[in-house]
Amino acid sequence: MNHTYIEENQIAERYVAGTLADAERERFEDHYLSCQECLDRLEVTEALQRGFKRMAADEDPPRPATRQLAVVAWLAHLGRSRQIGFLLAALLVLAVLPSGLALRGAAEHGRELAQVRSALEQEKQRSAANAGSAAEAEKLRVELKTSRRERASEHEQLALALQPQANVPIASLDVERGAGPLGAEPTNRLQQPAMGSIVFELPVDPPLKNSYRAILRDSQGHEITRVEDLHPSQRDSLTFSLSASLAPPGDYTFSIEGSTSGAKPIPAGRFPFRILPPPNH
Amino acid sequence: MSDNTDEPDEATVAADLVRRIVAGDASAEGQLVERYRRGLLYLLGHLGALPDLADDLQQETFRIVIERLRQGGLADPAGLAPFLRGTARNLFTGEWRKTGRRKTYSDTGELAQAVAHTPSPLQSLLLDEEAEMVRRLIAELPTERDRQLLRRFYVDEEDKDSICADLGLDRLHFNRVLFRARQRFKELWSASRNGRPQ
Repeated sequence: MNHTYIEENQIAERYVAGTLADAERERFEDHYLSCQECLDRLEVTEALQRGFKRMAADEDPPRPATRQLAVVAWLAHLGRSRQIGFLLAALLVLAVLPSGLALRGAAEHGRELAQVRSALEQEKQRSAANAGSAAEAEKLRVELKTSRRERASEHEQLALALQPQANVPIASLDVERGAGPLGAEPTNRLQQPAMGSIVFELPVDPPLKNSYRAILRDSQGHEITRVEDLHPSQRDSLTFSLSASLAPPGDYTFSIEGSTSGAKPIPAGRFPFRILPPPNH
Repeated sequence: MSDNTDEPDEATVAADLVRRIVAGDASAEGQLVERYRRGLLYLLGHLGALPDLADDLQQETFRIVIERLRQGGLADPAGLAPFLRGTARNLFTGEWRKTGRRKTYSDTGELAQAVAHTPSPLQSLLLDEEAEMVRRLIAELPTERDRQLLRRFYVDEEDKDSICADLGLDRLHFNRVLFRARQRFKELWSASRNGRPQ
């Protein structure tokens, strides 16, 4: 058995339908346990078969003719004398029925009216319930669509992230010394790349701490993101990368905090910088 | 049982994994799990295990098989897949018997639920989507004969030979129609699962 054999003999389809002989089923199971191609084929085949059956069920609701055929089949199984007896009994019922119905007619009218009312009430309730489930289905449809769209977007971002990046901008920022003049513009400047990441290099002064964290804030002081567990490099600087999409053109500040075991974080420098629009803007 | 000549066949890979696990190579155990995990999950699902149970039984299968290999391997190292399959199947059967013995139905509603599984609203929605894809697939088919072929094969589950005889087709044409239908459905299905417009 190989993939040509599996294809030619519809092994996957017959496996899903449960119509393979035991020996062949076992051989196919031993094969697909480690075969991604056959597992893909099995999943698609299952979905295809489900889809076909669902479609067929939608298109061919069970017909009352089946019941009529069942009665005919039952009659055919009876002996000749029983068939005649059954037919005579049916004729008798048909002859007696009209007079019986006439006697019961008046009482039936009242009962029928009550039944119609009750049926109408039930129908109303059913309509209300159906409206509810239709709304529920619509809500689910929208949720499903949104979640699929998000997933597609995540796929695209992931594919993008896995691509090698060329011309990655590296920003070596200078620490802000002293309070600086009020309203002064940042001297660290870099251009926003069209996509990808920016690598930041931030020098830290000795004595060095066990680890550092960098907090990125915008010009209003709102925190945008933070990078934890940074360790100084051999050049006494912290290096990390951030997605360029996090920081559109504008003024930002990195606040660096150092941590020692058990103590509160200690401020270890501020690095104001400005991101300029890309060159084509 | 692969026709890809670039990769070693199953028997070679299995024998190598068994040899390395017997020798105490922990990375081989990871590779064993990675290689057979998806297949075992599918097998257990096909047997009727719900996802949580399938996951538990799959882990138990690996535990038993790896312990057995650590203790001395298999008489036929190339028979790793049948050993995994047999272990998973036995565990599922054992679980099914155990559950069957324990299960009691407290009311008729529960009993009805056990007999006839009703799809949830989300499942119904997904089933509707699959049916819609099949409708689209059928609408794209060039001839009525091909439509009949698919319907009789997938819905009525007739066998290939009787469909071919009835519709006056040869096996090659039958295979071609089935192959194309599956490929097209796969495209529609993947696009729908990834949420991309086709």
